Amino acid sequence: MTSSCRTVVACVLGFSYTAAALITGQNGAAVHPSAPVEHQITFNRDIAPILFHYCAACHHTGEAGPFPLLTYADAKARARQIAAVTSKRFMPPWLPAPQELKFADELRLSDGQIAVIQEWVEQGAVEGAPADLPPAPRFVPGWQLGRPDKIIEAEKPYTLSASGSDMYWNFIFRTPVDRARWLRAIEIRPGDKRVVHHANILVDREQSARRQESQPGAGFAGMELKIESETFDPDSHFLFWKPGTVPKPEPEGMSLRLDKNTDLVLNIHLQPSGKPDKIQPSLGLYFTDKPATLFPLLLQLENDRQLDIPPGEKHFVVTDEFTLPVDVDLLAIYPHAHYLGKDLLALATLPGGSAKTLIHIPQWDLNWQAVYRYAAPVPLPKRSTISMQYTYDNSSENLANPNDPPRRVVAGNRSSDEMAHLWLQVLPHAASDAAFDPRMLLQEAMARHNVEKNLADFEAHYNLAAMLQARGVLAEAIEHFELAVRLRPQDATANNALGAALLAAGRIPEAIPHLDAALRVQPDNFDAHYNLANALVSQGKFLQAIEHYRAAIRLRPDDANAEANLGGALAETGKLSEAKLHFERALRIDPNHKLARENLELISRDPKNFQE
Amino acid sequence: MYRATLTSQPRAIRVSLMATALLLLALSTSGAAQKTALHLDGTPADPFLAASGKPVVLVFVRADCPISNRYAPLIQRISSQYAAKVTFWLVYPSRTASAGKIRQHEFQYGYKLPALRDPQHVLVAQAKVQVTPEAAVFDASRRLLYHGRIDNMYEDFGRARRAATTHELDDAIQAVLSGKTPPPNTPGVGCFISDLQ
Repeated sequence: MTSSCRTVVACVLGFSYTAAALITGQNGAAVHPSAPVEHQITFNRDIAPILFHYCAACHHTGEAGPFPLLTYADAKARARQIAAVTSKRFMPPWLPAPQELKFADELRLSDGQIAVIQEWVEQGAVEGAPADLPPAPRFVPGWQLGRPDKIIEAEKPYTLSASGSDMYWNFIFRTPVDRARWLRAIEIRPGDKRVVHHANILVDREQSARRQESQPGAGFAGMELKIESETFDPDSHFLFWKPGTVPKPEPEGMSLRLDKNTDLVLNIHLQPSGKPDKIQPSLGLYFTDKPATLFPLLLQLENDRQLDIPPGEKHFVVTDEFTLPVDVDLLAIYPHAHYLGKDLLALATLPGGSAKTLIHIPQWDLNWQAVYRYAAPVPLPKRSTISMQYTYDNSSENLANPNDPPRRVVAGNRSSDEMAHLWLQVLPHAASDAAFDPRMLLQEAMARHNVEKNLADFEAHYNLAAMLQARGVLAEAIEHFELAVRLRPQDATANNALGAALLAAGRIPEAIPHLDAALRVQPDNFDAHYNLANALVSQGKFLQAIEHYRAAIRLRPDDANAEANLGGALAETGKLSEAKLHFERALRIDPNHKLARENLELISRDPKNFQE
Repeated sequence: MYRATLTSQPRAIRVSLMATALLLLALSTSGAAQKTALHLDGTPADPFLAASGKPVVLVFVRADCPISNRYAPLIQRISSQYAAKVTFWLVYPSRTASAGKIRQHEFQYGYKLPALRDPQHVLVAQAKVQVTPEAAVFDASRRLLYHGRIDNMYEDFGRARRAATTHELDDAIQAVLSGKTPPPNTPGVGCFISDLQ
C-alpha cells in the first residue's frame, strides 16, 4: 500500500517535471516559461559582448576557467550558473571597489550588466538574431607574446594531491644566460591553469633560495619567501600571473636586467582539484637589446609587528604610512594579507591635504589576490603620504579562518599566520640636479621609516646605513651599521659592511676586528677577505694582506680588483715578477683596469725588475 | 500440401521477425515515455532494484563542475567506508556526457563506485537535487530521508571553509543505518542541474 502510494508520488513528480521541460521548450535553461516580453534580452545582442569581454579570457579551452563561454550553446548550458555567480560578484573575480583612479583591465561588471544577465535567464536565455552577434574573441594558443627567445622549464614537476588545503610551492629556475641580458618580458606558463590560483616570480640574484631545496631542482614548499641580497639592487617589477592574465611586455624603457647566476623563483598557489595533478611550469624569456632607461622601484608598507590578533576579534586594524621624499609616478599596487584579512585600504594624502583612494578591497579574498596596474600612471608629488589600513577578522564568522576554533594569530610566513603588506611600484622622477639615483633616496627614506617603526629592525639599520654610505654620509652610516651589528653580532655581512665603512672613514684599527669577525663566521666571504687585505695594506702588513688577497681570488678568480691589489702588495714586498703576473691577470679580466695598467708600467720601469 | 507448407514457413518466419522488431520498438518507446536512468552500457537502470534491501545513496556529480570534482576524494572515501551496508551510485545528470567520457572521468578522479547516467533527470527528480554535488539518501524502502549538500565546506560561491564543520551526508547515512533522525535537507553549492535541460 505504501509502496503504491510512493509510485504515484513519483509519477506526479515525473509528470510535473516533464511539463516544466515542455514549457521551457527550446529555451530550456529558464525557470520561467518564455513568453513574449517587452524588452527581449538576447544572447547575440546583449550577453555575448559581456561574456567576450569579461569572461572568455579564462573561459576558453586550455585556460583556467572550468568550461568555455564562447558560444550560445556554452552560455545556455550554464545560464543559471552565470546568473548566480555574477549576481553575487563571485565572477568575474575583481576585488577592488569602484574608485576614481582606474585600473587597467578592470573586470568589474556594472549593476546594469548584472541585471541584464539575470533578465536574460528569466526570459528563457534566448539566442537572438545571428546578425547581432559580435565576432568572438580569438585566442592565440601557447605563448601569448610569440615564441620566446629562451624557454626554461622547471626541472621537476610537483604533484599536487587530490584533496587537502591549498598548497604553496616554489620552483627555482636556473637562468640560462652567460652574461647580463635585458628582458622585455617574462611570460609565465604556470602548468595546469585549473589548479594554479596565482604565481609570482622573485628575482634571486644571490641564489639564496636554493638553500631551501632538499636536493637541487626539487623545489620547496612555502607561502612567503625571503630573498637575500647584499647589493643595492632593489626589486623593481611585479612578475605576477593570475588566471586570465594576458602577459604584456614591460613598458618602453623599463626592461629587466637578468644577470648570469641569477635564479628566478616561481612561487605558486595551488588548489587541489579532486584528482592528483602534476604541475611543471615554464618561463618564456624575451630578450631585448635596449637596456633600461627608467628605473622603477617596489616600495613596501607593512606593519607585521602590529599583528597580534586575539581569537574572536572581528575588527583588528593594522596601519602604516610613509611620506615620499621625491616625486613619483605610481604604476601598480599589490595589497597582501592572508586568510584573516577582511578590508584592505590604501590612501595617498597629497601635500595639499586632499586624499585619493589608491585601492580599497572591502572583501579581501586571498584566492583572488592580484597586482593591480593603474590605467594611467598616478603622479604623487614629494611629501605625499601613502597610508595603509588593513582590517582583520579572526572570528569563526570568517569562513576562511584557518583555525577552528580561532586562536591567537601573529605575523609569519605560513598561510595560517598573517601579513600586512602593501607593495607599490613607483617610478621616481629623475631630478635634474640629483647626483645620485632617486631610488636610493626612496630606499633611504623607507629604511629610516622602518628604523623608526622598530629600533630592533636589523635589516632597516643595515639598509639605512648602506644608503647613507652610498650617499657619502659616512658617520651616520657607521652608526647604523654599528646598531645592526649590535643586533646581530654574528652576522658576517653586517660585520663586513661595518668594517668596510670604518675602512672608508680611515678608522683602520676599528675596522679590522669586524672584518676578522666576518671571516670567523664566514671564512669564504670574499668581501671580508678583500677588505681585510686592504686594511692590512694600509697598515703596511703586506704579507698578511697577500694571504687574504689570495683567499679572495680563490673565491672569485675573475675579480680584477683583487688581482690588481694582490699585484700591488706583492710589488711592495719586492716580488716583482709575481706582481707583474697578477697585474697582467687583472688586465686580462678587465683591459681598462687603470690601476693595474699604471702599476704594470711602473713595475716595468723599476730597475729591480731586471735584476730578478 | 507439401509445396504450401514450404511457402508458408518462410512467411511465418518473416512475420515473427517483424513482430520482434515491433516489440523492440514498443519497448524503446515505452522506455522513453516512462523515462529511466541508464547504466553506462546503455541499459535501463534502477538503482533501487539492485540494492537488495540496503539503503541507497545517490551522489550527483558533473565532470566539468569544479566544486563537484573537489569532492571526489571525499565521495569515494565515504562510499568505501559504508560499502558493506549501503548501495552507492554516482549519478551523472548530464544529457550529453557519453559513457566513455564518464568512465574517463571516474578513472581520473579515482572513483571506484558504479556510475549511472541520468540524462532525463529521473533520479534528479526522485532525489530532489538541484546542483552538483548533492547527495540523496534513501532507506531500504525507497523513502527519501535526506537530500542536499555533502558537507558545509562551501557556504557560497567563493566562500569556502578550510575544512567542513558539518557533515550532512555522513550524518544522513548513519541516521538511515541506525533509524535516527536525518539532518535537515540543506541545499548544496555547485553547478545547477537545471542548466543541463
